[in-house]
Amino acid sequence: MNNKLTKEEVLHVAHLARIKVGEEEIEKYQVELKQLLNDVDKIKEVDGYDEERMIAPWERDAVLRDDEPGEMLNPKEVLKNAPRHSGNYIAVPIVISEEA
Amino acid sequence: MSNYLPTIGIEVHCELKTKTKIFSNSINGYGQMANSLTNVVDLGYPGTLPTLNKEVINLAIKAALVLNCKIRRQMHFDRKNYFYPDNPKNYQITQAETPIGYDGYVEIEVNGKKKKIEIEEMHIEEDTCKSTHRGDKTLLDFNRAGVPLIEIVTKPCMESGEEAKLYLEKLRELLFYSDVSDCKMEEGSMRADANVSIRKQESDPFGTKAEIKNIGSISNVKLSIEKEIERQAQLYDEGKTFPPQTRRFDTKLNDTVLMRVKETGNDYRYFPEPDIPFVYITDEQIDKVKKTIPMLPDARREKYISLGISEVNAKKLVGHRSLSDYLNELLEEKIDFKTAGNLLLGDISAYLNKEEKEMKDTTLTKERFMDLVNKVSDNTLTSKNVKEILDKVMTSEKSIDEITKEAGIQNITDNSAIIEMIKKVMEANPESVTDYKAGKDRAIKYLMGQVMKESKGTLNPKMAMDVLKEELNK
Repeated sequence: MNNKLTKEEVLHVAHLARIKVGEEEIEKYQVELKQLLNDVDKIKEVDGYDEERMIAPWERDAVLRDDEPGEMLNPKEVLKNAPRHSGNYIAVPIVISEEA
Repeated sequence: MSNYLPTIGIEVHCELKTKTKIFSNSINGYGQMANSLTNVVDLGYPGTLPTLNKEVINLAIKAALVLNCKIRRQMHFDRKNYFYPDNPKNYQITQAETPIGYDGYVEIEVNGKKKKIEIEEMHIEEDTCKSTHRGDKTLLDFNRAGVPLIEIVTKPCMESGEEAKLYLEKLRELLFYSDVSDCKMEEGSMRADANVSIRKQESDPFGTKAEIKNIGSISNVKLSIEKEIERQAQLYDEGKTFPPQTRRFDTKLNDTVLMRVKETGNDYRYFPEPDIPFVYITDEQIDKVKKTIPMLPDARREKYISLGISEVNAKKLVGHRSLSDYLNELLEEKIDFKTAGNLLLGDISAYLNKEEKEMKDTTLTKERFMDLVNKVSDNTLTSKNVKEILDKVMTSEKSIDEITKEAGIQNITDNSAIIEMIKKVMEANPESVTDYKAGKDRAIKYLMGQVMKESKGTLNPKMAMDVLKEELNK
């Protein structure tokens, strides 16, 4: 069994997490991330792993909420937590571009 | 351009008509000041937890029922992970593994033939915040964040823009009439994406797919699909290939344009949402929801036609929900439905449009409306009379009789009086009488006009015409 992730796999995961990794780190994560995956695989070996799914740390079914409005935040408070705003909108660097 | 077989699948996002959001109790509203309808859950603040809205499940069950879907009895939610400013939690809560509805269909009629548009699945998810792109900035409004959505995904089973249009019209009608959503494409409460590919013949594998995103109207869905088919066909004709892509319909260019989304990565790493345990749906709950579904559009049209309303008018009535709901309250009554339909779609619609009112804003009770219908039906009132008294009919509480009397309308329904008037007109216009007898049909119209003039509009035209013909043929 291969004991390392490929360099590309590490870079892909880094991209998904939006983090930059240096050359040395890549090598480190190739090993560490693979080790983590191997550990998770061990859990899968438990008897009945696929039989009874547990998605939450307790066994009760979901308690549903009545459709009644509650308190909301003041827009001024909301904007305080944003680095930039434009009028009442939160502003971020442009995320889209197109070509005709 | 060579002939190709298009394959089209449609994904629709539809906002549910709840009071509050799906996972928080802030208000689900549209058209309010930006970022004024939010709380800590919608903004994804650390430590907050989602609480699932009961009404969302009920409306989703209802949608599944009207779309003929099977309903899953045990389901959960999943996290769809991605980094993008429209979602500060960095994941959207959706149903990837256990969509509430599956294997459904919507029936449409294409060129007189019925076709079932198959629905692969229908799932519940939260809406993201609304982003608007301005200059070098993207502006975010979190009022939409956490608004409950259902996403309805068809199989790739449509073959033209026209079919896609018919499907969307039918879908909108069903979800609107069942009160699941207000389905306003112009406000974004119903949004459609189309997946389009083409191939030479059915035995070929599917062609490369282009996804056209967020098209703002049903007619533009049709147009954008047609344009996209054309574009792909041209490329294939030139021997070119192209990668799968996301496009957008540009209303100024009337064409699709390539959309470049920075920071892509369709690696969503779905996993079950641990903050919401399993949701169970019981037969009792489904039955309870079933009882809240009003008569649906197809059944309404059928019923109206069976009551003597023309097919055209039946369609028009269903296109105008408040009129259709009004008429539905009278279905057990014995009235002339053809006249009722004509009145609702004619003078009454004109009045409502002019006054910018709905039926509920008028004084036209069921009883007074039926009285009006009967009086028009038995020729006591002419259509001209109706126009004269309609303002009063819609605003006062008085009976139709009283209003008619006050308006000074005294229609002559006495036959001998009509005959007298007609004889007078015939004596004054002997040439026209001779012309009519010589087979000139136009002459009778002239005579009729003279009769109505003589009566100052107090005659019922149909009655007068019958008597006039009788007299002329003597």
